[in-house]
Amino acid sequence: MEAPPVTMMPVTGGTINMMEYLLQGSVLDHSLESLIHRLRGLCDNMEPETFLDHEMVFLLKGQQASPFVLRARRSMDKTGAPWHLRYLGQPEMGDKNRHTLVRNCVDIATSENLTDFLMEMGFRMDHEFVAKGHLFRKGIMKIVVYKIFRILIPGNTDSTEALSLSYLVELSVVAPAGQDMVSDDMRNFAEQLKPLVHLEKIDPKRLM
Amino acid sequence: MAGTLASNHLGLTSWSLSLQREEKQLEASVDALLSQVADLKSSLGSFICKLENEYDRLTWPSVLDSFALLSGQLNTLNKVLKHEKTPLLRNQVIIPLVLSPDRDEELTRQTEGRVPVFSHEVVPDHLRTKPDPEVEEQEKQLTADAARIGTDAAQKQIQTLNKMCSNLLEKISKEERESESGGLRQNKQTFNPTDTNALVAAVAFGKGLSNWRPPGSSGPGQPGQPGAGALLRSSGIQQVQMTGTPSQQQSTLLSGVQMAQTGQPGKMPSGIKTNIKSASMHPYQRK
Repeated sequence: MEAPPVTMMPVTGGTINMMEYLLQGSVLDHSLESLIHRLRGLCDNMEPETFLDHEMVFLLKGQQASPFVLRARRSMDKTGAPWHLRYLGQPEMGDKNRHTLVRNCVDIATSENLTDFLMEMGFRMDHEFVAKGHLFRKGIMKIVVYKIFRILIPGNTDSTEALSLSYLVELSVVAPAGQDMVSDDMRNFAEQLKPLVHLEKIDPKRLM
Repeated sequence: MAGTLASNHLGLTSWSLSLQREEKQLEASVDALLSQVADLKSSLGSFICKLENEYDRLTWPSVLDSFALLSGQLNTLNKVLKHEKTPLLRNQVIIPLVLSPDRDEELTRQTEGRVPVFSHEVVPDHLRTKPDPEVEEQEKQLTADAARIGTDAAQKQIQTLNKMCSNLLEKISKEERESESGGLRQNKQTFNPTDTNALVAAVAFGKGLSNWRPPGSSGPGQPGQPGAGALLRSSGIQQVQMTGTPSQQQSTLLSGVQMAQTGQPGKMPSGIKTNIKSASMHPYQRK
């Protein structure tokens, strides 16, 4: 059987060359309340939003050394919401002048038969997890505070177990490439969360 | 002497029968006291003014500054009073010579309008050297009470009070320490960098998460590859087959287990069994 004809190159150029600027940190369970309180004060005035998502990460291996990764996410608490397919490029740390991690990013809303489609294309599920937490917005900045749950039985999201005693905190902005100014805003915002949470640009390759 | 009396607009005089040298010394020390008191008065005045006019934007450090200034000036005043060159003021006698119900302009000016008349009404208040009779009575009472208590009893009471005070002090300082360390702990432990790394690694490449992909699985498109996709697919097929022939289902199950065993001998088989049990709850099965 031949490998399906899938482009191995990240989507660049054109109108969808969007970048995600990212800062990450974590907060211990017992300090979550304080963080939520502070975020409600700092962020846009909106109803507190929570989410419960199931994310599956699919790999497509080709001739290249590194596999092509796609992330499929579905909401578990909001019925009727579309599935979310996301491509994330290699993270770039940049130099000191850039305060955030930057990576290529493509977001697509899809129908619910996304997993079948990916399987048919030859993708294989690598891992999956459940994310449960809170969502905040401030302008174009998005702040998510969520807990990651390990799935004990493949595909069964009813049987989960918390990965750690902390919540992951992510501050992100999706903007067209080259808009490095947003990273300044993000750094300023991150400063306001100290010392409760230290949001930093963390190179995931360092943690491999 | 008569000249002194005449020139004294307060209507009182201070005199000394000592030598002229002593008189000079007295004058000098009174001058020194006057200047100290004037300083103190002006600081008090500005502090009161500050309290009355800027109470809404007054900061605690600035209040403390004012207090420090006043305390320093009082100390200087005390030092002047206790200075060896200052004659004992209690040996000086001040007596009112003239009482008048008429308004005294010079007196009004000197007292900044506080005492316009030097009359029988105000003199007892201003020249009083002893406490009020009631206060004197109370003080006498207290002294008598103190004298009645024996030295042993007094000692005992002193000890009890000291003990209470030290206990209280200890409690307060302990509380203070605890709240301080508690605050520090709160500050330090709102996040854990190790957890941050673990969580970032988990979302970035599934580290620490259940990894359904057996190690060493090769590229896609190879039939029989023991990957998660295969498992998922087989479970999907099972669901369909459960309504069909049981024997086929059995064989799929077996092959599934075998595949997993060849792929990863450790954990996977149990996962597959439970997967089959929970196949009906599969969130993205084929319908």
